[in-house]
Amino acid sequence: MSLTLTCPICGKRNGYEFRYGGEDKGPRPAEEGLSPRSWCEYVHMNKCVAGVQKEWWFHRDGCGTWFTTHRNTLTNLEVEEPEATS
Amino acid sequence: MIGKNTPLWGKKTRLKSSYDAVIIGGGLHGLATAYYLAKEHGMTDVAVIEKRYIGFGGAGRNTAIVRANQRTQQNVPLYKEALDLWPVLTKELNFNLMFNNCGNLNLMHSEAAMNAARMNVATAQFHGVESHLLDAKQIKEMVPALNISEDITYPIHGAMYHPPGGIVRHDAVVWGLAKGAAKLGVEIHQQTEATAINTEGGKITGIETSRGKIHTPRVLVSAGGYSAGIIYHMLGIKLPISVLTIQAMVTQPLKPILDHVVSSGAYHAYANQTLKGEIATGAHMDPWPNYTTLTTAYYIKHQAQALSEFLPCLRGVKFMRIWGGLADMTPDMAPIMDGNDPIDGFYMDCGWGYFGFKSCSAVGKHMAAYMAGGNCPDILKPFNLRRYENHRLMGETAALVNYTPDN
Amino acid sequence: MNRLNNLPTLRINPSEKLTLKYKGRTFQGVSGDTVATALFANGVRVFARSLKYHRPRGLYSLDGECSNTCMEVDGLPNVRTENTLLKDGVTVKEQNVVGSADRDMMGFMDKLDWMMPAGFYYKTLHKPAWVWPLAMKQVRKTAGLGAISPDFRIKGRYDEIYPKADVCVIGGGAAGMSAALAAAESGRRVILLEARPWLGGCFDYRSAPYEDGRPLYERARELATQVRETPNIRVFTQAPVIGVYNNNLITAFQTGGPEDSFTERYIQIRAAGLVVAAGCIERPLLFDNNERPGVMQVGCAHRLARTYGLLPGTQAVFSVGHDLGLEAAIDLFDLGLKISCVADIREDGQNPELLLGLKERKIAFLRGWVATDVEGGKSIKKAHLSTVDGTISKSFECDVLIASAGLTPVTGPVTVAQGKTAYDHHTGYFLVTETPKGMHVAGRMTGLNHCRSIEASGRLAGLQAVADCGLDRAADIDAAEKTLAMLPGPERGAKLVTAPVKGRKTFICFDEDTTIKNIKQAIEMGFDVPELIKRFTSAGTGPGQGGIPGHNLPLYVAKYEALDTKPPKPTTVRAPLTPTLIAAYAGANHDMHKRTPAHHIQKAAGGVFRRIGVWRRARYFSQDFTCREEILNVRNNVGMLDASTLGKFRVHGPDALKALQRVYVSDIAKLKEGRVKYSAMCNDDGCVIDDGVIVKQGENDYYLTTSTARAGATAEWFRYHTRYEGWNFAVVNLTDAMGVVNISGPNARKVLEKVVDADISNEAFPFSGYREFTVAGAVPVRAMRLGFVGELSYELHVGASYMPTLWKIIEEAGKEFGIQPFGVEAQNVLRMEKCHIILGQESEQRTNLLDVGLGFLWDRKKTDAKTVGAAALKQTEGDTGRLTLVGFQMEDSARAPRDGSIIVDNRVRGYVCTARRSFSLNEAVGMALVDSQLSDIGTRLEIFEDECNGQRLYCKVVPKPFYDPEGKRMKM
Repeated sequence: MSLTLTCPICGKRNGYEFRYGGEDKGPRPAEEGLSPRSWCEYVHMNKCVAGVQKEWWFHRDGCGTWFTTHRNTLTNLEVEEPEATS
Repeated sequence: MIGKNTPLWGKKTRLKSSYDAVIIGGGLHGLATAYYLAKEHGMTDVAVIEKRYIGFGGAGRNTAIVRANQRTQQNVPLYKEALDLWPVLTKELNFNLMFNNCGNLNLMHSEAAMNAARMNVATAQFHGVESHLLDAKQIKEMVPALNISEDITYPIHGAMYHPPGGIVRHDAVVWGLAKGAAKLGVEIHQQTEATAINTEGGKITGIETSRGKIHTPRVLVSAGGYSAGIIYHMLGIKLPISVLTIQAMVTQPLKPILDHVVSSGAYHAYANQTLKGEIATGAHMDPWPNYTTLTTAYYIKHQAQALSEFLPCLRGVKFMRIWGGLADMTPDMAPIMDGNDPIDGFYMDCGWGYFGFKSCSAVGKHMAAYMAGGNCPDILKPFNLRRYENHRLMGETAALVNYTPDN
Repeated sequence: MNRLNNLPTLRINPSEKLTLKYKGRTFQGVSGDTVATALFANGVRVFARSLKYHRPRGLYSLDGECSNTCMEVDGLPNVRTENTLLKDGVTVKEQNVVGSADRDMMGFMDKLDWMMPAGFYYKTLHKPAWVWPLAMKQVRKTAGLGAISPDFRIKGRYDEIYPKADVCVIGGGAAGMSAALAAAESGRRVILLEARPWLGGCFDYRSAPYEDGRPLYERARELATQVRETPNIRVFTQAPVIGVYNNNLITAFQTGGPEDSFTERYIQIRAAGLVVAAGCIERPLLFDNNERPGVMQVGCAHRLARTYGLLPGTQAVFSVGHDLGLEAAIDLFDLGLKISCVADIREDGQNPELLLGLKERKIAFLRGWVATDVEGGKSIKKAHLSTVDGTISKSFECDVLIASAGLTPVTGPVTVAQGKTAYDHHTGYFLVTETPKGMHVAGRMTGLNHCRSIEASGRLAGLQAVADCGLDRAADIDAAEKTLAMLPGPERGAKLVTAPVKGRKTFICFDEDTTIKNIKQAIEMGFDVPELIKRFTSAGTGPGQGGIPGHNLPLYVAKYEALDTKPPKPTTVRAPLTPTLIAAYAGANHDMHKRTPAHHIQKAAGGVFRRIGVWRRARYFSQDFTCREEILNVRNNVGMLDASTLGKFRVHGPDALKALQRVYVSDIAKLKEGRVKYSAMCNDDGCVIDDGVIVKQGENDYYLTTSTARAGATAEWFRYHTRYEGWNFAVVNLTDAMGVVNISGPNARKVLEKVVDADISNEAFPFSGYREFTVAGAVPVRAMRLGFVGELSYELHVGASYMPTLWKIIEEAGKEFGIQPFGVEAQNVLRMEKCHIILGQESEQRTNLLDVGLGFLWDRKKTDAKTVGAAALKQTEGDTGRLTLVGFQMEDSARAPRDGSIIVDNRVRGYVCTARRSFSLNEAVGMALVDSQLSDIGTRLEIFEDECNGQRLYCKVVPKPFYDPEGKRMKM
C-alpha cells in the first residue's frame, strides 16, 4: 500500500510525512467528576472500525497541522465524501 | 512409512444448530482452545468457525519465532509453559511441528539498552528460564555474519541470548492442532463467516453465521487482528486495541548461514533462517490502523537498509517475497484474555499484537479451562480488560504511552 | 558453436569478445550475451540441479521464471544467469551440487521421490523425539540453493532515485511504447520502464509480418526510435518493476551499464497515471519430465536464435498450444533447425497462413497432440507424444523439445496493487477485471494478439493515463476506443491443463520439485484452496515464485476438484515482482544523525560518542567508563557539558499560557520573569513523558526546554492536546538553532565571572534565576542557574553558530580552575547521587508522576485547564501496590548492583534503575522502582542480579538524595 493524505495546507502528500493521532473522539472531557471508566473510554478505547472512520493526523514532516480526515481502513485509502459509518 | 492421504482435519460436515461452545476464528488460539476443550475437559461438541481457511490470518503470516524472555513476571511463566509444550504437542498430535531450538539473540545497541535487557534476563533467570547477556565479541563468535564494528548507525554492544527459544513451523502448528482437535470430535467449519453474536439478559445465546444460526451458551472470539472490530461491531464493547499491518519477508534460499534468531529493536528488524534456507526477516508496523495486509515500498527498503548494516553479507542476497498480516496492539503490549464480563458466556482472547504465535499452546490450554469451568485460571487473571481503567498497565513495554498506536 | 552472426534481430555484438571462467576453464562469449547464453554457446546444457531431487536443469525460459539457471557469479549466489548480462572476466559456479551440475553425487535423490510425498516433513522425522534435531541438521544442509560466506561483501555502487512522472508505463513492448508516445503527445512527463536491456517486447525478435508487410522487429525498432526521440519520455531499460502500490507508487531497480555511476539503483516513482503493459509469459506444458535439459519454451528457443544467434539444438520436436509456436517453428526451420514434428494441443483455430508455412516446409503437423514424456537424463534423446485424450501415441528422436501450453498474462503489477483478475474461458487467461484508480492495462496481457490491436490498446491506455493527470482527452480517447474496437479482439486460447500422464515426474513447480502427484496428495489431505496447497507443497515459493506454477496450479486444482461452481483462483502474487538484491533496495543508505555545534571540539578532546536518539553525544572523555576523573572534577573543581541536544522551544501568542497550562502539571501562571521553573508533562495515564524548565520572557511568551528524546515531538504534543480548542499560539522549535553549554562545579562562578559583563553573584543571580547577558563582550547568552548534577551550575543557551566560540572562551577562562569537559555518563552518576531522575531510566510505562516522587510539581487546583494526566493522577492517588521510586544504599559499600537487576522476595517486586559505587560518597547507592509496600525508609531489599548463582545482594531504602541533601552546593 502507499498511503497518501490530504493536508489542508500542503495538499496531497505521502502518508509517511504524517503521524496518526487516533480515532476522533471529540473534545477532552471535563476533569472534575470523570470516572475511571469514562476516562478509559476517552483515552484508550477504540472502535476499530472496518470501514470508513474519522481520524486525526499530524503533518509532522510538513506544516505541523493537526487535522481530521476520513479513511477506509479496509483499503487504506482516504475517502473524499464519506458515507455515514462509525 | 507414509500414511494414506486422508483429510487431516476430518471430512466436511454440516453445520449443526447447536454446540456446547463456539469459537470464532480458526487461527492458532482458537484451534488450540478447541483442542484442549476436547482433550482436557471432555467438551467435544465444539465448532470452530473460520471465515476463510484455517491459518489464513496471523497464524500463517508470522515469522514463527518462539521465546520466553519477556519483561514481566505475569508474562514469563505463560510463555515458558508454551515453549515447553512444543515437543509435547509434536508427540501428542503426531505431527512434526519442526521446533528448531536455535536460541534467540536480541541485539543491544547502547549501554542503556543493555541495562534494560538485564531486567528481562534477571526476570527470566529468576523464573528458571535460561537467558544471558553477552558482549559483542561473544555474539560475533556465535553469528560470524554480524557486523560488530563501530561504523554503523547503531553499533552492537551486546545481546540478550535466550537458548531455549527458536523457530517453530507455524503452518504445522495450525494443521497439527486442527488434526488433533478434529480427531477428538471438534468440528472445523471453514469458509463460514460469523455475522452476529446473540445475547439475552446479559447471557450469550448463540451466533449467526453465513451458513445459519447456532445456539450455544459460550462463545470465544479469538479472531486475531479481526477480534476488536468483531467485538465492537457485534457486541458494542470497545477495546484498547489498534489494528496495524505488520510485514515480513524472505530472501532466496541459502545454505546455512544464520544459526540463531537475531533481532534488533533499534533497527526494527529480526532475521532467522528457515529450514528451507530462506532468511525470514521483518518487524515493522505502519503506525496507523488498517485491515489490509498490503505491504509497502517503504518497509522493504527499510529492512534492506537495516540488514545491510548488521548482517552486511546479506547485501548479496535477494528478497523474494514480502507479505503482511495484522497485529492488534494494546497500549501495554500485553494481550487481553477475559470472560463473563460484561456478558456471561462471552470470552475473548485478543490484543496479541505480533506475539500471539509463541503463546498459543499455553493460552489454548488455559482458555479452555476458563471456558469449561467458567472461572479464570490464576495465570490469566492479570490479563483482564479492566486493568486499563484501573490504571494498571502490564509493563511488558517500558516505552511511554503516547496517543498513537505504536506508542 | 557457430553463431548465426548476420541476423538483423541480434542483440549481441559478435565482434566484441568477452570471457568468463567456469569449471576452471576460460570460455568466450560476446558483448550482449547473458551469462547463460554465453555458456550455452560453449556447449553447456546443464546449469544447475534442482532443490530436492537434484535433477539436472537447463535453459527453459530466458526471463528468469525459475531457478533452472541460477548460479553463483563472482561470489554472488542465485544469479539468474539467463537474463543477467555477461561482464568480462566473471567467474561462474554451480550451486547445490556435490561434484558438478553435470555429475552431481546427489543425483540419486531423484529415485527417492516415493519417500517424499506432499507434507513429508510434517508426517515424519519426529518419532522418536531425538531424531528430529539430528534430521533437522541434515534438512538444513540439503536445503538452500546458493551459499554465501559470512564475510562476503558485495562490490559496486548502489544508489537510489525518486523521479516524478505524470504517466508511468510499465513494459517497453509495442503496447507500452505506444502508450508512452500517446501520453507524451500532450507534453506531460512520461517514464517508461523496461526489464530487458532494449525496448521491443514480443516484436523485438520476430520476423513475422507487421500490418504493412515489414517484419515485426523493424516496427519495434521504429517505435523505439520514436520513443527515444521524444524528449519528455524518460526511458529506463534493465529496470524491472518490483512493486506497484495504490496511489500509483511504482518501484523498480536498474542495473547500470559500463558508463553508469551505479551498479544497481533503486527507483521509486509517483505518477498520476499508470499504464501496465507487462505482456505475457508462457504457460508451462505439464507432462512427464517436462523440465529436462533440452525442454524449453517457445520464446526461449526463438530468442536464443534470433536475439543471441544460437540454435537451440539440431533436431527438434514442438509441442505447443499457441500460434507463436507455429511461427517459431517456421522461423527456426528457416534458420537451420531440423524439425521432426509440430504437435498442437488445439484441434483448430490456427492461423491458416502459418499452417501453409508448415506445409510448404514439409513439417509434420499433429492437431490435438501433446508431449507426454521425454527420454534422457542430462540431455534428451526422444520425445513421446500422444493425442490429447491419450489414446494414440508416437515417439520422435530429438535433442530439443520446444514445449508450451500457451500464454499467460503477467498480472503481478496489477494484483499487487489490489487490482482484480478473473479466469476468462475464451482466452484461458486470468484477465484483469478491475484496476485501482489511475491504472490502465494494455497489450498482450489483455488477451490481444494482433499487432495492430496491441498498439491500439497501448495508445488508448496512454491517453487514459494522461486524463488521470487532469487533462481532458475525451475526444482522443473516444477515437482510440473506436479504433481498437475495429481491430481483432482477444483470441481463443488452448485450455489443456495437463498431458494425459500420471504425474509422478510432472513438475508443476521446478524450484521446489513439486509434481502434480504432490498436488493430488495435498488435495486429498484436505488442502482444498491453491493458497493452502502452495503452503503445504511449497509450490511457487522458490526463487522464481509463481513464474512457473502461477497459472497451472489453480487450473489443476479446479480440474481435480471438478467443481464447476468455483472458478479457478490463483495464489497471491507478492512483491518484489523480480527478486531484488538487498543492496539494491538499501540504495545509498546514508547514516543519518545530528551533531551538536560542539561536536568536533569534543571529538578533539577525546570524547567517546554514542548515538542518543537522532544525535551523537559524547558519553565519556576517557577510556575509564566509570568516569571517576570526570565526576570528581565536577564535584571538586568545575566541568563543562555540551547539553545542546536538549529540546528548546519558544511558545508565544495570545493563548500561549493556556496551552502551557494544558500540558504542564504545574501552574505556569505563577511563573515570574527572571525565574526558571522546573516542571513536567504527563500523558493521559499520568505517566511523566517529559520534564524541563520554563522561562517567562514576556506576557504569553515563554522559552522552555524538553528532554533530548522528546524534542522532535513537543510541538506536535502541544498542538495535539489543544487541537479542539482553536487557541492562538505558536510553537517554535529552536532545538537546532541554539547550543547549550553547562558549567558545573564549585568553581563555576569563578570561571564565568571572568568572561561576562554582568554581576553574577549569588545575590544578583541566585539559584533558579534566569538572566540574559553577553560573554566576552560579543556573545549574547541566555543563562539559567540549575542544579541537575547537584553543584553550582550555569546553563548557557546561545545561538548555535556561537557555540564553538563560547565553548573555547569558557574552556580558556576555566583553565586556571581545572575545567574539564564531562560526558553524559558522568552526568548520569552525578545526578543519580542527587536522585534527579532521567525519564525512561527512573520511570517507565507503569509509573506516573506521583510514583516517581514528582507529585509536588502538580497543581491540582487548575482543573479548568484540563491538564493532561491530571484525571489519571487523581484516580490513582492513594493506590497501593504501584511501582514507587526509592533511593537505596548497599549493605556492602564496595559494589553496586548492575542496572536492571531485579528486587525480589518470593516474586519480582521491582528493579534497579541506576546504581553506582559513588566516588563522592564512598558508598554504593542507587535508585529503584519497587512495589510501594517496600518503599518505606529502612526497608531491606533483596536484589537478584543476572548470573548471581543464588547469591543475593542486599540494600536498604534510604532518604533521597544521597548527596548534599540540603541542596546547599547548588545554591551557593
